[in-house]
Amino acid sequence: MSRIELVQGTLDMLILETLRWGAQHGYGIAQAIRAGSSDVLQVETGSLYPALHRLERQRFIKAEWKQSENRQRAKYYSLTAAGRKHLAAERERWSQVSAAIAALMKARESEA
Amino acid sequence: MKWGKRNDDLDEEIRAHLAMAARDRVERGESPADAAFNARREFGNEALVKEITREMWGWTAIQRFYQDVRYALRQMRRSPGFTAVAVLTLALGLGAATAMFSIVNGVLLRPLEYHDPGRLFVARTVLPPEARIAHDFPINARHFAEWRAHCRSCESVSLIQMADLTLVGAGEPVKLYALKTSWNFFQTLGVHPVLGRDFLPGEERGLGQVILSDSLWRSRFRADPSILGRAIQLNGEPHTVIGVMPRSLVLPRGDQWGSLFGPAEEPLIFEPLGFDPSQLRANNLNYTSVIRLKPGVSRGQASAELNALLADFVRQDHLQTKIALFPLLEQVTRNARTSLLLLLGAVGAVLLIVCVNVGNLMLVQTAGRYREAGVRLALGASRTRLFGQMLKEALVLVAMGGTLGLLLAYAGLKLFAAAAPIDLPRLEEAHIDWHVLAFGLAAAAFSTFTCGLVPAWNLSRTEPLDSLKASAGATESGHKLRFREILVGLEVALSTVLLSVGGLLLLSFVKVMHVDKGFETERVVTQDISFLSPKYAHGGRARVLRLMLEQLARIPGVRAVGATSRLPLTGEDWIANLHDPDSSRPERDEPLANFRFVTPDYWRAMGIPLVRGRFFRENEWSQQVAIVSEGAGRFLWPGQDPIGRHVRGLGGAGPAFDVVGVVGEVPAGPLDQNRPTMVYTPYSFESPVGVSLVLRTAGDPDSAIRAARAMLAQIDPEMALPPAQTMEQILDASVAARRFEMRLAVAFALAALLLAGLGICGVISFAVARRRPEIGIRIAMGAQSGQVIAMVLRQGMRPVLPGLLAGVAGAMASSRLLTGELYQVAPRDPRLILGVAAVMLSTALVACWLPARRGAATDPIAALRAE
Repeated sequence: MSRIELVQGTLDMLILETLRWGAQHGYGIAQAIRAGSSDVLQVETGSLYPALHRLERQRFIKAEWKQSENRQRAKYYSLTAAGRKHLAAERERWSQVSAAIAALMKARESEA
Repeated sequence: MKWGKRNDDLDEEIRAHLAMAARDRVERGESPADAAFNARREFGNEALVKEITREMWGWTAIQRFYQDVRYALRQMRRSPGFTAVAVLTLALGLGAATAMFSIVNGVLLRPLEYHDPGRLFVARTVLPPEARIAHDFPINARHFAEWRAHCRSCESVSLIQMADLTLVGAGEPVKLYALKTSWNFFQTLGVHPVLGRDFLPGEERGLGQVILSDSLWRSRFRADPSILGRAIQLNGEPHTVIGVMPRSLVLPRGDQWGSLFGPAEEPLIFEPLGFDPSQLRANNLNYTSVIRLKPGVSRGQASAELNALLADFVRQDHLQTKIALFPLLEQVTRNARTSLLLLLGAVGAVLLIVCVNVGNLMLVQTAGRYREAGVRLALGASRTRLFGQMLKEALVLVAMGGTLGLLLAYAGLKLFAAAAPIDLPRLEEAHIDWHVLAFGLAAAAFSTFTCGLVPAWNLSRTEPLDSLKASAGATESGHKLRFREILVGLEVALSTVLLSVGGLLLLSFVKVMHVDKGFETERVVTQDISFLSPKYAHGGRARVLRLMLEQLARIPGVRAVGATSRLPLTGEDWIANLHDPDSSRPERDEPLANFRFVTPDYWRAMGIPLVRGRFFRENEWSQQVAIVSEGAGRFLWPGQDPIGRHVRGLGGAGPAFDVVGVVGEVPAGPLDQNRPTMVYTPYSFESPVGVSLVLRTAGDPDSAIRAARAMLAQIDPEMALPPAQTMEQILDASVAARRFEMRLAVAFALAALLLAGLGICGVISFAVARRRPEIGIRIAMGAQSGQVIAMVLRQGMRPVLPGLLAGVAGAMASSRLLTGELYQVAPRDPRLILGVAAVMLSTALVACWLPARRGAATDPIAALRAE
């Protein structure tokens, strides 16, 4: 099965979603998205880090330096209140869009 | 957060990512070395990720700009020679363009500093084309009276005339250039006295009120405010000062109001101009009308109404004339317009050549950097980034050149003002204001793009793999070479156009200077005098003049001395119909002639040759005799002897004159204009107030004129004596504008030629250096140095020929714009075009030959070893 590259808006949403379970560093977020999608969704570092820095600038997430369990100093990102709100809105939008698309596809399927 | 700190943070964030990824791999069983390597590979292009992540910070644009500028400065330090040449030529190009623009801005573009100057117009008389007199004339007083009473398009109609006044009793007696004005002249312009008051309507009757200019008030009356109401002696009569105009008031000089107005001086004093009914009946054209139109009235509407109001006169007098309205600013700057725009165009072309040249040098400069560009692209630099960076290198060069150029423009403006002929109007108003700065910035932006675009595009198109594979020298693909050839061709074309413009102006100037003037300039010196004092009001001028001439003739070293109402080259004057009482020619077919009132020895003193008949005799001071110019004779009596014929001047009134002689033609105005029909009558017949004495001397005219001035001061101590002028000085002044324009155009053309030569030389030098190994092989295989030179020349001249052809075509196309500036030179003179082509070609050949010779001297072994 081929891996799917994520478009910007979706990636932002997945990052926020991942951070809902607690602070995480960039590598961790990439691993979590990949594992969570059973290796289907591929996160390029060239998209991940710009997205993290952009979200940070938009104040949806905040960053702090912490030690990982392996005593590796890493930059941990966590959701802000604005980020939570934004994620809720995105989620709402996403479920509408995917429901609409699913309905559309189903209709086509039954026609076929 | 500081940028450096933020950068370090990003570095550490990514290091942490790699470390964690590697650790995971080690835990999955990879060797630490493999794990580190694979983590890196999986991560992708680290530099690129950092780069685009940094872009999210939002302020990278400024940061990157700063970075690029620093990088550009580093590049420039590495090649100081290139930098110096680029910055200096840019400074010269931008400086010259900015200086030229500030002059055009000051002279042609800046609005006049009067109230709402767009509504101010000058009304002048124009003749139909068959009159063979190209310039416009002043108007008649009746026209003015009619307009002032009835014109509905006009808010205000005023009238002015030049006058001379002699001021006595405030220092040395001095002749003042005065403006006689209708009472509302200043009101029409919308300017007001700073001290005292303006004229009142009733004061046109000549009650002796005057208004002073600021400079006269300061220079002669010590800026004394109590001057108001005091009487000063003008032409021997008391006048009351009622006002002083502000220092900031700039009025056009006499020559700027149009032909037949007055000398190239600013008016110093103003007196009212009024008419009695008899003057209003006179037919002469002596006045200039300044009109302010009502808001919203168009120039066409107004001139239609002005002409319609004159319809009755035109019918009565069978006039062929029409009235034309000229915007005041256009009228005042008319003589300078073409010349200045031409020079601005030329300097623009030079700037373009400079930019092309710098662009070309940059292209050569960057040729060594394709490998670097390839590496940077491979490491993740974006193409736009490379492109922008190259543009910024151009920007840094232009910024340095532009700053230096602005200083040069500032200095150049002073130099220009000092060197410019005085008839460049409003030159004192040229300075560096925000319009000029805006122009300078626009020129700099334009330069940045023209310099930087081609190298930037070229560099950003680098294929990383190719540039890394190939050796540094051979990375240029064909289309990049062609770029340079196109640039060289462009330079050649522009230089060819400029050369032909400079050549045409130079040839015209030579032609003008070699024209047969019809009089002599060597050892002829002139002194203006004027019989302004009231003691001359009722005759007696001729008697005093005669006494003066007799005395002057006795000065040792004076060969001949005469007097005329107006000197050659100083302008047309006393123009009227020339009437032959014995012919039935209708009035409208009569020629217009310039009348001159002279003394018997005038022609001998001025060196004007006698063609037929004789000069006036000493006993003919008040006889009705006339001498005509050859042209007048040919026109009135074609194929017949003018001697013994009769002429009547000044509108056919008055006595007829016996023609006793024919003299050669002399120019009344500039040397390059048609010689007008000229009629000379004895001075006593009209006895004008202003007279020019003409002395021909045997030796040095200096001592003779000193003695002459001392003698004149003895005869009438109250007479104002302006500085004496030799005819050579008068000739010099009359061609000053043409010479100035020609010198600048030739200088620009030579600069363009030099730049084009440098450009070609630079490109060929580079090409030769790049082909050194190949040339080495050729020489090793037995090629003669002549063959190598021929090969390089062929390559070098390839873009020159099309450029030359394009330039010749451009010169042909633009030559029509020049016609007004040329004299006896066809704008498409084939000899000139051939000459220009030869100069351009030989310059290009030399520019190619220098590097070709160096190429031919290549030591084959050294060249091959270097590979």
